[in-house]
Amino acid sequence: MTQSLPRIISGVDGLDQILGGGFVEGASYIVQGQPGAGKTILANQVAFANVGAGRKVLYITLLAETHDRLFQVLGTLDFFDRNQLGVTISYVSVFQTLRDSGLSAVVELVRKEIARQGATLLVFDGLLNARDRADSPLDVKTFVAEIQSQAAFVGCSVLFLTSTRFADDSPEHTMVDGVIELHEEVPGVRSVRRLQVKKSRGSPALGGLHQFEITSSGVTAYPRLEAVLRSPSTQDEPSLAAVASGVEGLDELLGGGLPASSVTLVFGPSGAGKTAIGVSFLAKANRDEPALHFGFYETPTRLRAKARALGVDIDGPIDAGDLEIIWEPMTENLLDKLGHQLLQAVRRRKVKRLFLDGLGGFQRAAVHQARMTEFFSALTNELRALGVTTIATWELRDLFGPTLTAPGSELSSLIDNLVMLRHIEAESRYTKALSVLKVRDSAFDPAIHEVSFGNTGIRIDVPLPPVANAATGLATPLST
Amino acid sequence: MALIVIAEDEFLIADVLSIMLEDAGHQVAAAPHGAAALSLVKEKRPDLVITDFMMPLMTGLELAQALRADETLSAIPIILVSGAQASIGRAHPDMFDAVLDKPYDETRLLNAVEGALAGRSTV
Repeated sequence: MTQSLPRIISGVDGLDQILGGGFVEGASYIVQGQPGAGKTILANQVAFANVGAGRKVLYITLLAETHDRLFQVLGTLDFFDRNQLGVTISYVSVFQTLRDSGLSAVVELVRKEIARQGATLLVFDGLLNARDRADSPLDVKTFVAEIQSQAAFVGCSVLFLTSTRFADDSPEHTMVDGVIELHEEVPGVRSVRRLQVKKSRGSPALGGLHQFEITSSGVTAYPRLEAVLRSPSTQDEPSLAAVASGVEGLDELLGGGLPASSVTLVFGPSGAGKTAIGVSFLAKANRDEPALHFGFYETPTRLRAKARALGVDIDGPIDAGDLEIIWEPMTENLLDKLGHQLLQAVRRRKVKRLFLDGLGGFQRAAVHQARMTEFFSALTNELRALGVTTIATWELRDLFGPTLTAPGSELSSLIDNLVMLRHIEAESRYTKALSVLKVRDSAFDPAIHEVSFGNTGIRIDVPLPPVANAATGLATPLST
Repeated sequence: MALIVIAEDEFLIADVLSIMLEDAGHQVAAAPHGAAALSLVKEKRPDLVITDFMMPLMTGLELAQALRADETLSAIPIILVSGAQASIGRAHPDMFDAVLDKPYDETRLLNAVEGALAGRSTV
């Protein structure tokens, strides 16, 4: 039988997941990164979370910066509690001891101090300085080994913070149980913070680079969605039930409605009626089928106004608490943060109807486009497993034109149902047209239908008169 | 001119404090933590002790308690200078002749030093 090691919490949202359940109790970790990468904030957040969990923490520095300056900075963060200083958490400098008496004196002092404080978490900030002081790499290896064995002996976990980038085969790395590296990258003009667990002994960590951010609540990490949800969190239970789309005439085309727990992609150019379909779908929200609008374009007030103009009542469901609108402006977003926010909002209200407007907002947030397929796989699998019926939109770049690009061939295959909207020019007038291209496990009406806007929202009307090339938007009359 | 022992683990603060006091005409002996300060006090018999609160091996409060418990040292005035724990110091008026907040204010510190040397309590 495998045995899992006891853990201590990190207090950093997302990090425990990445670490496979938190830091291993009594283990030691190196947290490395450039100055400004967030090591000190991370370590202090871990420290105060553990103070909150009833532990005693010893924070030892080898830095020139005074503790008062550190406290000033920490004072801007929510987790910092000045009243705990000197009570459950002690900040002491061993710089002078190192300077006057060397590494072995520091080890001795740390040993006594851990025992004196009854500390079960030790943060050692400034391992770099210990390295400068050492006469050979072996000395630091011995130093790290001694500190961690002293600590482990009394069940104390250790975080060594350092701004050097130790090589993966450096003696320090071989000594410790785990290594966490914090980066700040600048792909293009924006900056993105990422962390990576480079070593994790006795615990399966989520590999690769995970985005994180630093706000007034400290560090929040967003585990890569495709890694944390490699398989959905719960068993998928496919059902044959149909969910009403809320769009007049559409359910008939779909063969009875949207398959429950499916993902439908509605794609088409701007103004073709994608959002109109979405609000009609959301207006069907009720207590048993809570709905969520997760969009990048309209603010909640504009969305309400738009629905009113269409004659669709979403104010009722919103006021009743059956419909929530989340607007994430398409500015500087983090892909995994969006994914986690969405799933959190779905889980919180047990959402059954979800309108994602649109997938492009996720794609724009991705720094590495190559992972979009994996990201959407994880996201859509999880939504299906949670029993959510989703309509997502994809905006086609060209209003008209012969290039009809579905949003990535791989992406289309992750989608259960495909609905296409087009502007069609025929006989000197533009017609909006809708066609169903694919419905999961169901027969559907393949005829292209005209779309109109009535008093109560968007409506699917009669089949389009016979033309050729309607899908391109450049229809030509059929020659008879 | 007095002999002052300072107990401060942060070298930058210890250095600045030493210079401040030396410029004011005092002689300074510095210790990097409470335990070292206690031996230094026993050895030097200073006129005044200035201590930080959070230090390795022995806090400023523990240092003061040790000094007060030793009949031969209990008369030495003690000034606590601390950022977050000044309130802990103020809760022990019998231990400290003065309690100052960090960061250091040179005028207030020197006034407190003169006051403590003259036997006036400014807790």
